[in-house]
Amino acid sequence: MSGDGFLQLRGVASRYGQTRVLKDIDLSIGKGEFVALLGSSGCGKTTLLRVIAGFIEPSDGQVTVDGRDITRHQPDKRGMALVFQSYALWPHMTVAQNIGYGLKLRGISREEITRRVLEMAAMLGLAGLEERKPANLSGGQRQRVALGRALAIDPEILLLDEPLSNLDARIRLSVRHELRALQKRLGITAVHVTHDREEAMVMADRIVILDGGRIAQQGSPEEVYNRPASSFVAAFMGAENLLELDGVRDGEIFVLQPGAAGEGGSVPVAGRALESGAVEARFRPEAARLTDIDAAASQPGVRFFGEVMSVSYPGGHWRHAVKVGGREIMADADRAFTPGQPVAVFVPAETLFLFNTPSGAPVSRPGLLPEAVKIPA
Amino acid sequence: MSRRLLGLFLVLPALAVIALLFILPLIMSAVGAFQVDGSFGWGNFTKTFDLYTKDIIFTVVIVSLSTALIGLASIAIGGYLTLGNNPVAVSILRFLYRWPMFIPFIVVGQLMRTFLSKNGMMNNTAVSLGLMTPLDTVSFLDWRGIVFAFVWKQTPFVALLVAGAMASLNRDTIEAARNLGASKLRVLFEIIVPQVAVTLTVGLILSFVTMMSVLSVPLMINAQTPTMLTADIAFRVNAYGDYGVANALGLISLVLASSVAWIYLRISLKERT
Repeated sequence: MSGDGFLQLRGVASRYGQTRVLKDIDLSIGKGEFVALLGSSGCGKTTLLRVIAGFIEPSDGQVTVDGRDITRHQPDKRGMALVFQSYALWPHMTVAQNIGYGLKLRGISREEITRRVLEMAAMLGLAGLEERKPANLSGGQRQRVALGRALAIDPEILLLDEPLSNLDARIRLSVRHELRALQKRLGITAVHVTHDREEAMVMADRIVILDGGRIAQQGSPEEVYNRPASSFVAAFMGAENLLELDGVRDGEIFVLQPGAAGEGGSVPVAGRALESGAVEARFRPEAARLTDIDAAASQPGVRFFGEVMSVSYPGGHWRHAVKVGGREIMADADRAFTPGQPVAVFVPAETLFLFNTPSGAPVSRPGLLPEAVKIPA
Repeated sequence: MSRRLLGLFLVLPALAVIALLFILPLIMSAVGAFQVDGSFGWGNFTKTFDLYTKDIIFTVVIVSLSTALIGLASIAIGGYLTLGNNPVAVSILRFLYRWPMFIPFIVVGQLMRTFLSKNGMMNNTAVSLGLMTPLDTVSFLDWRGIVFAFVWKQTPFVALLVAGAMASLNRDTIEAARNLGASKLRVLFEIIVPQVAVTLTVGLILSFVTMMSVLSVPLMINAQTPTMLTADIAFRVNAYGDYGVANALGLISLVLASSVAWIYLRISLKERT
């Protein structure tokens, strides 16, 4: 999972004034790997990218490329090229001058620069636009010029700082695939910062989810999607529905107690570090199955009971807001249920993510536990 | 009263001020330049070119040289404020560089007299440091003094404009160039200056025109010939009451100043197309 360690970060920390933006980041990226740094704004993902790029010196830790320690190296001595979120094209230069600037800095002959620029423009679909200024290009074209400028110097590592976030939605979808195909073809190592889960899933070999300056989880897209390591990761990966339950671990089986939310049930522990006590149950709206209250479950899973609050049609299926045990959750169904209708929400065992509630104490139920017991945990 | 009339009425005082205090005297001077003893002719200009061709060239050279030096100095100041690594040095420079802006030209002239003369502060310091003997000292109170005074006084103004424009640039464009391996000097001249070129040009043109019209500095530093046109105009009026030649000199100054403004207009038109 950690690759062959072409680009390695060991114990990297960064602070901005008194605030610690990054804490103890250990990350190993293999040659040719496409890694997405995923997180909400302020989680430190851009800071991490800028530490790798050399624009921010880490307050602690080490960055190495192919065994060389580059922690204190200047940005241009790292064999990396950065594509900026704002593209940062130079408005006074033409497309050709923008793409060729890095080559000019390397003292390459004018004929060679022209040849490489034409090659790059052809590869990126910018042929014929070489003499235009950035102001006369569309957003997608500017993005490709920025990419061309970074790739022209033939970097070992390509750093991408939310390069697609300024494109409109339709173009973004196609650029995702183009960028990924290009990266594979060139065999270049890429680190891509994004806050878009789907973008990270589609493009990356490995996703690194950051939360509050720490790595919350890293793994392949299907790993972080199907086996989130924490409630945060589960929520970030789309399992926004949250129910608070109580459970008892019985060997390799975790038994959920019946309560306000539903009839309970048992699910396999499947290697999770679950302990008896209060748990947070998370699941995706599309993983849930909405049925009439008396329909029988056809596979292992857990049923919750609730009442439909509202229904909408986002396309492909009907999405229902359902009130379950005092909380509102979202669940999909192939047909629309009417608001006010009592329903059962069935969640298959493998799509129900369970995490011990951080306090470690069971959810309080009147008469069962004195309040004081909860506090020390 | 209709809305339109009311509007006109409101701008009338401003229009009157411009017409009476600016346009009218300008026209009268222009007309006066072509009047010799009550009839129209080129007499004033013939006399002007006979007497003052050297001064015209002197003025153009001094002001152009000063403008060039001001440009370089303000790029250097703005560049250091934008790219400087030492935060203490940057904030000291940011605090210091504006001061000369608040000192009137006449005071600048006075300062330069005490600083640049044969027994001035500059030479005295050099002598006391053992860099030269009192016999070797030279007065800088000639064209060099004027250039020195102009650059000292006008650089802060242009640097203020240029530094402001540099500060509002997209920092990513600077980092992108650093990322590709551009040295700071290359970033300054290939990335930053081209993006603030219009602001720099405007600042330099305003400075050029200001320097063309300064009387006190040439009078205080270099009253001998050749001198600047402003000093000649004052001399024609005060010593001879010769408004004809003074007007002709004024018109020549105006033409010089407008030629610079014309360059600026061409640049801004080209940028828009």
